[in-house]
Amino acid sequence: MVFFDQWAVLDAEVQLWVDAQVKGFFRIGQQQIDVQTITAMYLRNADFCRVPAIRQAGPGSRAWHHALDVHKVLFSWAELTPALVVNRPSASASNSAKPYQSAVIQACGFAVPATLITTDPAAAQAFWDQYDTVIYKSLSSVRSMVARLTPAHRSRLDDLASCPTQFQQYIPGHDYRVHVVGEEVFTCEIVSAADDYRYAHRQGISVSMRPYTLPAVCADRCRALAAALELVVAGIDLRLTPDGQWYCFEVNPSPAFTYYQQATGQPIAATIARLLAAAPTATTMPNNFQRSNYSSL
Amino acid sequence: MAAKVFVVVASRMDAMARTFARRYGARGVCLLTPADLSHPGWCYRPGELDTAMAVIGGQRIAVRDITGVVTRLPSVSEYEIDHIAAVDRAYVAAEMQAFLLSWLTALRCPVLNRPTPPCLGGPAWCPAQWVKVAARLGMPVTTVHRHAMFSGKPATKRAPRPQGVTVTIVGQRVIGTVDPVLACQARALAMAAGVDLLAVRFSGRERDAAFVGAELWPNIAAAAVAHAVLDYFHVCATHGEHHDFPSRTATGQPGTRGA
Repeated sequence: MVFFDQWAVLDAEVQLWVDAQVKGFFRIGQQQIDVQTITAMYLRNADFCRVPAIRQAGPGSRAWHHALDVHKVLFSWAELTPALVVNRPSASASNSAKPYQSAVIQACGFAVPATLITTDPAAAQAFWDQYDTVIYKSLSSVRSMVARLTPAHRSRLDDLASCPTQFQQYIPGHDYRVHVVGEEVFTCEIVSAADDYRYAHRQGISVSMRPYTLPAVCADRCRALAAALELVVAGIDLRLTPDGQWYCFEVNPSPAFTYYQQATGQPIAATIARLLAAAPTATTMPNNFQRSNYSSL
Repeated sequence: MAAKVFVVVASRMDAMARTFARRYGARGVCLLTPADLSHPGWCYRPGELDTAMAVIGGQRIAVRDITGVVTRLPSVSEYEIDHIAAVDRAYVAAEMQAFLLSWLTALRCPVLNRPTPPCLGGPAWCPAQWVKVAARLGMPVTTVHRHAMFSGKPATKRAPRPQGVTVTIVGQRVIGTVDPVLACQARALAMAAGVDLLAVRFSGRERDAAFVGAELWPNIAAAAVAHAVLDYFHVCATHGEHHDFPSRTATGQPGTRGA
């Protein structure tokens, strides 16, 4: 197993030759890897601009351009290779558009909240009147924090004209985080009074977690959802209502699973490692990992 | 504005898109830029397109009256929204991008081309991906070489791409004069990419010419392409073809289209 450290990007060299085949190598320091020998890749990419040497050199510098080129070539390879990639960049992109993802979630059998996206204050007010308790959240993955509409927001509805804003009916219930790793499903029950438990600490609200066993039907839906989004590893946010309905809010293609693993003892990291180590070649790949598109023919 | 509307989603700086909208405005073509999303009146409940409203060129339009869309915008950049406070532009650009991805995916009218999560105009394939797919389809190709190594010296300039001959695929139509073998290859490539609008470049017009490259943004200001695009929408409307998401895979790969 090889660690391609983004922090060492200035000491990295990547070279690809692409026609019907994809050939080339990656080099970090003295270690060089033939890309055709790679059977699996775990891609947890951080913004290369945060690499200290790149930040110091500044945007537009030779170092910055080199880092950009390295990441472009790496991402190209991640899309081209028949190796197992957790997760391909194109598959990870669905998380940047929540309503888009929500349509896939619904198609996989989960309930989704009633949603309005609007720049119209009157439409927003009508939606609020219809559902009484309404939350708003970003459409993208930027500034992604859930909050409830309060009376103080009424005077600000005219600001909606600047940008489409997403409102959803508030769904009461208990939160669960599911991590799908290949065919394995790890579920964590979350107990918190916060609207968004990920930011409960900012509101001084406590969060506790414990392992949970999903009903088989629900676990199957999670596997199907990850497969529909072409994600080998996925973090799925669910909520179970008091009347027993399972809602799904989003699917995270690069879940920060260690938080949940530490709280529950679930062997998520070990399962990912086993999956990567056991990755077959493209010719022997099971159907649920085979891609239906042509880019990895 | 005409009762039926054809929308071109483009940058405000896209001269080809502006020309297309200006020339065919009488046929209902209008230009939608990211700045249009900063107007009151947009209203979209996912799953309820019949009540959805858009604001294009300052006019409120029922989404059900949109007969076709051509997308010439890969993503929303901060440069498109300089009316937004600088500190918020990255966020607003991301929000507009997310909205357009969802909206364009859900539209039941034909969209050239249906977006994918990384790109509003179709699959975000790099040149190497196009070459690999073309090669796997049996098209002669030139090997793509990518190399990144930090030497501290100025990067050597890449050799300019050969110009060659371009054909444009619009649905089943091939616009441009090439050997029929190349025309078939170009259609096959478009089908492999899951798109109905594609510019494909070859090294020449003869049947053994090599594939050079492809792009999702052909010149729609060219009369032949413009007419083909409008005919495409007319044919789809005549046959009652519509789209139901998610008929494609969630990452935007080809699937069965509703009809």
